[in-house]
Amino acid sequence: MDFFNIYLPVAGIEFNALLLVLIGFCVGVLGGFFGVGGGWIVTPALNIFGFHMAFAIGTDLANIFGQSIGATKKHHKMGNIDWKLGTISIVASIAGLEGGSQVVLLLEKAGDIGSIVRWCYLFLMIGLSSLMFYDYFSRNPKKAAGIHDQSKLAGQIPQREKATIADRLHRINIPPMISFPDSGIKSVSLWIVLAIFAFTGFLSGFLGVGGGFIRMPALVYLIGVPTSIAVGTDLMSVLFSGAYGCLTYSLKGRVEIIAAFIMLIGASIGAQIGATAVKYIKGYGIRLLFALMIAFAGCSIALEQIYKITGNEAYQGAAGIVLMGTAVTMTLIIVIRLMAGFRREQIMKM
Amino acid sequence: MSLKRILSTALLSIVLVCTIPVVDQAARTAIASEKQETALSMTIDTKKLSGINLVIARMYNEDRVLYAAMVTIVMAVLGTVLAFLTDLVLKALGLEVSRISHRE
Repeated sequence: MDFFNIYLPVAGIEFNALLLVLIGFCVGVLGGFFGVGGGWIVTPALNIFGFHMAFAIGTDLANIFGQSIGATKKHHKMGNIDWKLGTISIVASIAGLEGGSQVVLLLEKAGDIGSIVRWCYLFLMIGLSSLMFYDYFSRNPKKAAGIHDQSKLAGQIPQREKATIADRLHRINIPPMISFPDSGIKSVSLWIVLAIFAFTGFLSGFLGVGGGFIRMPALVYLIGVPTSIAVGTDLMSVLFSGAYGCLTYSLKGRVEIIAAFIMLIGASIGAQIGATAVKYIKGYGIRLLFALMIAFAGCSIALEQIYKITGNEAYQGAAGIVLMGTAVTMTLIIVIRLMAGFRREQIMKM
Repeated sequence: MSLKRILSTALLSIVLVCTIPVVDQAARTAIASEKQETALSMTIDTKKLSGINLVIARMYNEDRVLYAAMVTIVMAVLGTVLAFLTDLVLKALGLEVSRISHRE
């Protein structure tokens, strides 16, 4: 394997090119499928394998920018992008992001900010995955048990579905009201939409993350966007934030261009595969896989924190294994589901 | 409120309460270790470099704006070209996409 080792002049280290392609491919598939940047996988992965944290973040952002171009184009072709909603999300997120970073600066002056940020990060991971698991198993029990439309079979009137958080938010009537036909939303207060994206932007700025994994569930559960449109629309925002991140980090000299270049080879291929897989997996399936991924990423963060307390390197190793294991397993699941869906489609065409 | 919801809320609360001291301590340790981390060098030693590595290193050292522009343009162009090529391969394999119905 040493044959594939290359010297990276900006980071000043030797790195295995095959490993870079593999990391890129995994994050590309996950990014294209879930509509997230995947920084929370790539940054720690590069860091674990020897990159300085600053280079890991900068190189990851450059890669996110490159991989998002093709995936966004593919989601657009599938009708998965609500451009109007996406544009509003970018504007409101920037305002929220600025607010979040200002709070961080204020807290820094007061003292120990790191503990608050990390606590919030873990809380968010646990909260999001719990919400999505709860939603999957409570709102979809019939489908999970393989019983479809039992009320119709028995000749009964179907039970009225319980109002979701999004339904309740749509009922709040604060003008101006706005519609998102591409997402099937007839009327919602612009202020509600702005507030939601400002909040997700605030969390991104406060936690120092891209925010794709916060925005995607917010689009689904708070705004009521269909899952595949949430994925595409979120990816559009990721593309713009990735472009800005790539430029600003390379100005600061923190992008290792050779590594980003090699990683992008795997990521571009992976992103196209991930985006195509959305066609074959239903919305609830995407939500379940997303919840699983967030839960395992939360476990990895918890293990990393235990390592920092105890100093026992076994925990750090375990954190890396859980993180990379989750990324590789999820990638395999998505590719297998894509192949199964494609085969089913071919059989139906015959 | 259903029993299922009460149990899941209680379980979530217990997990959160248990993680507070662990996370707090971890964060303190992390901050201490971050302070000890050495500062990154802002210039690359070009003595042992040659070829493309030397070109990149010189650009990085001499003109950071040009380096940033090059990185951004290269990533955009490469991302577009690779996506186009992958799309062609996927189409050839029969994995062509068109407008989809949004099923939940």
